[in-house]
Amino acid sequence: MEPVLENEKKIELKKSKISNIKVEEFKDFLTVLPALAFFGVFIYYPLAQLFNISFTNWNLIKDSYKYVGLKNYQWLYNGSGKAELINSLRVTFIYTLSEVTITLVGGMLLALLFGKMTRKYAFMRSIVFMPKYVGMSTAAVVYAWILNGKYGILNYVLNIFGIPSVDWLTQQSTALIGVLFLTSWRVVGYAMIIYLSAMQGISRDYYEAASLDGATKVQELRYITIPLLSPTTLFLFVTTFIASMKVFQSIDVMTGGGPYESTNVMVYWIYNLAFVDFRVDRAAVTSILFFIILLVCTILTMKVSDKSVNYDS
Amino acid sequence: MDNYANSKGSRKALSIFRDIIAIAVTLIMLFPIYWMIVSSFKTSDELLQAVPTLWPKVFNWQNYPNALKMAPFGKYFFNTIVMTAGIMVFQMLVGILAAYGFSKGKFRFKNTLFIVVLGALMVPIQVTFVPIYVMMARLDWINTFKALIIPEAVSAYNIFMLRQAFMSVDNSYCEAAKVDGMGRLGIIFKILTPMCKPTLITMGLLTFIGGWNSYFWPKMVTSRPEMRTIAIGVYELKRSFAGLETMNTNEIMAGAFMAILPIVVIFMMAQKYLLTGFSKAAMK
Repeated sequence: MEPVLENEKKIELKKSKISNIKVEEFKDFLTVLPALAFFGVFIYYPLAQLFNISFTNWNLIKDSYKYVGLKNYQWLYNGSGKAELINSLRVTFIYTLSEVTITLVGGMLLALLFGKMTRKYAFMRSIVFMPKYVGMSTAAVVYAWILNGKYGILNYVLNIFGIPSVDWLTQQSTALIGVLFLTSWRVVGYAMIIYLSAMQGISRDYYEAASLDGATKVQELRYITIPLLSPTTLFLFVTTFIASMKVFQSIDVMTGGGPYESTNVMVYWIYNLAFVDFRVDRAAVTSILFFIILLVCTILTMKVSDKSVNYDS
Repeated sequence: MDNYANSKGSRKALSIFRDIIAIAVTLIMLFPIYWMIVSSFKTSDELLQAVPTLWPKVFNWQNYPNALKMAPFGKYFFNTIVMTAGIMVFQMLVGILAAYGFSKGKFRFKNTLFIVVLGALMVPIQVTFVPIYVMMARLDWINTFKALIIPEAVSAYNIFMLRQAFMSVDNSYCEAAKVDGMGRLGIIFKILTPMCKPTLITMGLLTFIGGWNSYFWPKMVTSRPEMRTIAIGVYELKRSFAGLETMNTNEIMAGAFMAILPIVVIFMMAQKYLLTGFSKAAMK
């Protein structure tokens, strides 16, 4: 009799242990549930909703809408939206590539210049880094003043050097450059800090060996520093690329997409489709395309990086 | 010997040259802020002189009260603080819980579900703002704090960074606490959270600054002036001078200075956390 009882007890204990583990697992799951629910409602549901809206003829000023199939896709592919799309893509990519180049080259140069580990240099570094935290819209208001065609200080300085005044933000050929002044100011210091912290991770041995071999400073930079920083460069490339594609604030404040659409970047265009033209349907199609472009660009850079990045640091 | 002294001398010259360049670059980077402050104290006449002055001849303090009169800055500040505080509390709370679950927790499909979180990083608000706006409009949340705070209440990036921090804490601490009879919430808030304080401080600061400067989403979901936040407020101030912006740049700059002052102060006090936070992000 007794051993059987013992056995039953054991089984019961095991059962309660199993259910106990289940309860614990469930409680662990509960900790991530709020976040998952949030992403469901505010990320994945809206994403699905975008596709839904893109098949309708939804206009924000009308109460009802109906499904119209691929009409909006046609509008974008070979309708009146096509020219706008091509312009917007062109502007966005010119802006993005300029911004990325300035960030990488500027960040690297600043890192080399400000790399001295003294207190005075630390102070200067923090000033160079600070613009990152100054609100973009506020800074844009300030830059619009600096770049003002008639009273702006930049033109005044250019005049001193004999260069005629430029209507930075009000002419087609220079508006994007005007915006780049601002966005570069905000981001180069950040790139510098990222590069500097990576440079500190490079072993001194490399440089000692190089100087024993009689390498010059330029050679050290070319054959040691830059190759060993390639993971950092990739990180900066991807993050700056994605951030630049999403540019909105500076455009909104400084140029309003103009003059003549010369700064009408993707997000600004979508915003206008939805809230100025009230064509939510067209905005949805364009958002989908924008999302796909972002996704493809990210995946591509990741793929390329696996082959060409040196992780040997 | 002569040669040696020579190279030492040229090295010194080079180092001075570097200092000069570094100081020049620093001044250029500082200039927009300087120019904003200086312009905010000038009179309209001085502002529009053919030859700009580097220092105001007379300090026109009146620009500040004037700016406050043109746009409801007090309201902007209040709205920004409420919004930012709300976002911070939610992001911290939900983020800490989720980071625990994804680092120390044990449950089925943990890794798959974490991909759901990482996937959220790929879908910025610039892609989904139209449907989210429609959602807010249907809920009748436009021009409320709910619309300003709730769509920003969880950050996938913060969950990712916090999870990294929690994973670096040895499991034995959690096990020991469990043996002592400490519950899950106890472990999270009395063991893990205090041990990851630097990460949390950095995250809190970045969330605060991000909220303070956020422009895109607040612009979408607010239209009434009394619900606007500070980042939009400065632009609204500029627009309130419709057509006469240039003449009134001194007052606009006064508004801009008031808008960035809190961030500059926070940056000066807490730059240690901001600097390390970023290097960590890049090292991952």
